[in-house]
Amino acid sequence: MTYYNNAVITKRELLVRLIKLLNNDTLLDEIDRIPLQMRPRTNSPIRCCVHKDRAVLKYKIMALLGFNIADEEDELTPLREYAEQALKGYTQNGNFLTVVDEACSSCVQVNYTVSNLCQGCEGRPCQVNCPKDAIMVINGKANIDHQKCVNCGICQKACPFHAIAYLPVPCEESCPVKAIRKNADGIEEINFDKCIHCGKCMTACPFGAISEKSQILNLFYNIKHQKEKTVAMVAPAILSQFKASAKQILSSIESIGFDAVIEVAEGANMTTDHETSELLERLEEGAPFMTTSCCPSYVQFSEKHAPELKPFISHTPSPMAYTAQLAKERYPEHKAVFIGPCLAKRSEAYQHPNIDYVITTEELGALFAALKIDLETVSPNAGISDNVRPESRGYAASGGVTNAIRSVLSAGLQISTELIDGIDKKSIRLLKALPAKKQHTTAFYEVMACDGGCINGPVNVSPLKVSQTKLKNAIREIEPAEALNE
Amino acid sequence: MLTTPKYKVQICCGTMCYIMGGAELHLLIEALPAQLKDKVSIEGIPCFGKCDTNEKLHPCVLINGAELNNASTQKIIKQLLTLDNNDLL
Repeated sequence: MTYYNNAVITKRELLVRLIKLLNNDTLLDEIDRIPLQMRPRTNSPIRCCVHKDRAVLKYKIMALLGFNIADEEDELTPLREYAEQALKGYTQNGNFLTVVDEACSSCVQVNYTVSNLCQGCEGRPCQVNCPKDAIMVINGKANIDHQKCVNCGICQKACPFHAIAYLPVPCEESCPVKAIRKNADGIEEINFDKCIHCGKCMTACPFGAISEKSQILNLFYNIKHQKEKTVAMVAPAILSQFKASAKQILSSIESIGFDAVIEVAEGANMTTDHETSELLERLEEGAPFMTTSCCPSYVQFSEKHAPELKPFISHTPSPMAYTAQLAKERYPEHKAVFIGPCLAKRSEAYQHPNIDYVITTEELGALFAALKIDLETVSPNAGISDNVRPESRGYAASGGVTNAIRSVLSAGLQISTELIDGIDKKSIRLLKALPAKKQHTTAFYEVMACDGGCINGPVNVSPLKVSQTKLKNAIREIEPAEALNE
Repeated sequence: MLTTPKYKVQICCGTMCYIMGGAELHLLIEALPAQLKDKVSIEGIPCFGKCDTNEKLHPCVLINGAELNNASTQKIIKQLLTLDNNDLL
């Protein structure tokens, strides 16, 4: 998770403003005013001028309306037209990130820069060791020619004064699978053949130039005008994200206008049971190990980057998929809305026939704020299912799946487990090496794309430490007796 | 703790403040300098209505009852240190 920053706040402010307008039935009339209101002439601009700032906001809104920014045909198209289309619903293509090219500052063209610590020494090891002859000494200071530099880093290692600094491109640096690169114009582009929708680039970019394509306006419009009945499927991580009790959070979600609320933890009960029996079966058949399947970003990773891992991933559906099945049984006419902390769930839901919308923690927070739903004052009357095991709510934190599986193993049965907490360059090496490994000491791997688990998802609102405490409290609050026995 | 806390920090827990950066403020206790550790009490309070205006004041915090708008952890600490340094008793 990134440090909290102004780009994140801009996104949330946009969401709140859009929802407020929609709630007041003035969205179409006033949407084109949002950039002007948020970046008035009187403020000192963030970028080169106020007009650029406003253009950036326009495109950020376009993404939040659910559009791919590269699809724009006519730059004069007002936001109103996009909003009209968005309210009717639009076709998705399975890619849920889009680069706001106007906002991408095409930062850091070359990863190495000479600082003013350069002493202009006689030895000039940077210059003599550069394989591309990219370094020139001008006025007693080394300079790197951006046209020639290939980012090999030899000059940095060679400099005895540590005068050459490495400058990362935040989005490229954060992407674990090298799916984001600059195009010929220096603007970042996402390669969706590689992208695993982990969301790390989105939180890493300090210009807020990478945005998700949201469904929130379309969904809220349909709820508000009662165009369709909806059932909210609430991920356990949501219970850790707001300053209110778990029951209040669930009741508040209902008060937005959902016709029913189901906890995804109910589906997690089923995932735990199936995954446990699958694990025992596989081990009996001689499989060396099995990994979890509930993290959609990890599943995409294996599909796109490590097909050799695929046979070792559990076939058990994720808690969201089981919950969608429950929702279909109980409310066959309702549209199913998954509410969670995850970007990759958008793409899992897209492939799932029974899930119609995905909204994120941030979007849920914006809904609460725009509709002035004060969580602490909402009476906690939403139905909480009695048959959810506390361990199922624990899925939201790393180690939770393992814990849930251990809780249903018959007494005395020991299974060696390991947690892969976060998909990064290091854990990718480890994962890719697993299938070829001769000796296996671990039978069960829990893999989470976000370190800390879902409570540290890319579209959350609480910092990880606060979320951890809140999740524990939520589990304890709902299931007091059992949690105290632990 | 020997002394009762001298400074009361109340963090608005309304949803608007919370999503606009207020969530971070709940980690304040970890960031307090040693000088302030025993002198500050921290609590969450319900929305006190500042988010209604168009002025973008969130997140809001009360320090001994006085409003601090657009609060950040560093801003709160700075204000507490100012209070503490001026307090000669």
